[in-house]
Amino acid sequence: MPTAAGAPKRQKGRAAPQGRRSPAPRPALAGAALVVAGIGLGATTALTITAESVGQLTATGGLATFVGNLTGMVGTYLALLMVLLVSRIPLVEQVVGQDGLLRWHRRLAPWPISLLLAHALLLVAGYAQAARSGPWHEVNTLLFSYPDVLIATIGLGLICLAGVVSIRAIRQRVRREVWWAVHLGMYLALAISFAHVIVLGPSFVGHPLTQLVWSVAWAATAGVVLAYRVGLPVLRSFRYRLRVAEVRPEGPGVVSVICRGQHLDRLAVSGGQFFFWRFLTRGMWWQAHPYSLSALPQPPFVRLTVKGVGDHSAALARLRPGTRVAIEGPYGIFTRHSQRRSRVLLIAAGIGVTAVRALLEDLPRSARPVVLLRATQRADLVLGTEIADLVKRRGGQLHELTGNRMAAVIDQYSLRRTVPDLKERDLYVCGPEAFVTGVVEVARSLGLPDEAIHHEAFAL
Amino acid sequence: MKRAPLLLFAGTAAGFISVLGFHLRQAPPTVAGASPSGGASAASPSKAGLTPAGPVAGRSALGPEEQYGYGVLDVEVTESGTRITDVSVPLLQTAEPTSQQISEQAIAMLRAEVLSAQSARVDAISGATYTSAAYLSSLQAAIDKLHAR
Repeated sequence: MPTAAGAPKRQKGRAAPQGRRSPAPRPALAGAALVVAGIGLGATTALTITAESVGQLTATGGLATFVGNLTGMVGTYLALLMVLLVSRIPLVEQVVGQDGLLRWHRRLAPWPISLLLAHALLLVAGYAQAARSGPWHEVNTLLFSYPDVLIATIGLGLICLAGVVSIRAIRQRVRREVWWAVHLGMYLALAISFAHVIVLGPSFVGHPLTQLVWSVAWAATAGVVLAYRVGLPVLRSFRYRLRVAEVRPEGPGVVSVICRGQHLDRLAVSGGQFFFWRFLTRGMWWQAHPYSLSALPQPPFVRLTVKGVGDHSAALARLRPGTRVAIEGPYGIFTRHSQRRSRVLLIAAGIGVTAVRALLEDLPRSARPVVLLRATQRADLVLGTEIADLVKRRGGQLHELTGNRMAAVIDQYSLRRTVPDLKERDLYVCGPEAFVTGVVEVARSLGLPDEAIHHEAFAL
Repeated sequence: MKRAPLLLFAGTAAGFISVLGFHLRQAPPTVAGASPSGGASAASPSKAGLTPAGPVAGRSALGPEEQYGYGVLDVEVTESGTRITDVSVPLLQTAEPTSQQISEQAIAMLRAEVLSAQSARVDAISGATYTSAAYLSSLQAAIDKLHAR
């Protein structure tokens, strides 16, 4: 494994001891977490079924009421799992990555939303049948004479709203801040719908044990979210006390932000990982954005390199030295821990070069890396000299591919010609989502198995 | 994480089976067995037989208020001689209308059962387990109260 010996001559002669590397992932623990999640799902389903009797089921409206209860319980449980997925429990995140957690979160999302909607509709139908009244009358009764149902319905509305703004076509049209605020509303939605479950749910009424278990599960979920999304980042930010030291232009619209901090030799991070950065200055303090480290920490410095494409990233160029910086992370599995073969191929497009730059520094000399950088024009190939230096030290090759998307294309033919031993390498690819998807497809079609393909995509 | 679906499924099955198993071991209490003073009521007819009584007007007693998950109720029993001639529910409050409706239906059925069995030792109404338990418990206490006089 590389140590200080492999460090580049970056930051002009500031030869400092290197920081710690992030711990190796333990897949068995993530597997155990998955089993626990399954146990909860099975238990929730069984609880609903055991609360039911044949008499209730065959009564008028009984079937709709039962299915309504079942969808409500399972939907709520899945909603809790979604919250846990984005709480980024470190032991799980180290195995599947922030990327993977979000993918699961997105894949799971339609289920709780549709199940909870079905829950509301089915219970209206079932209760209306039992009361021999119309659905509108029953909606009215449910909302205004049942305890805690009105507020839970508001919660359902918030959940649906979060679902709607996450639909791809709509998400691209709303501001990131709106999308974020709506998602924050999910926590509120779940909190305010808690009461009606305990007070009215057939699995809970008169069952102090299930009430207790359910309440503990909710409190624990809230605790995990608070600990890992709030507590840990605050703690780390206070510990490392980062401040902007210098903002340095790297290329057209690209700047490096160099931060100075304390105890950075204790910060466990691998090359290729990223943090959520929150710059505590007016107009920026309230939002955190994900940017990769563009080099391994060299205490007391860390560096990120950002291309100004959005409001936030463009504002980074105007950061004043001395600005305080809060961090959340590190996250991501675009690291040497994912490496399965001895040699690697690194492909980066545009500003994706930052993660590849830091990863390169972290790779063993034996990796003999082939690095493929793609940009529209030569000037956009930022950090080029640093990368050339790192590649040279590891006995690798550097290919630079410039031109528009039609001319400088990475396809089966060009990839096979550039990297004849592709099938014996791990592929790391970082860049815009469309680029990453394209390269991954090409690699697969050339026979590279999924476990040898590692990617990190960023959204513009 | 190729085994992810397998692990998830195994967990789900384990959770489902263990909760189901736990539930089955804790067999749902039958109401008759659960009423603790059932024995006393069995002895009551002979005791009542000691009191010479003609066709007297009914004597009645009110059972305690029983809280159950979905509400609260109490039961009043009326006996004429040794026969239970009427059972009524002066108080029935529930959290919401559906429970009210379920309880009212169950109470009517319980009343019929009790009048034909002449005791509180009848089966619970399925679909209204809590209402039945509360009803029969309050009824049993009312009967005991009547016979203790």
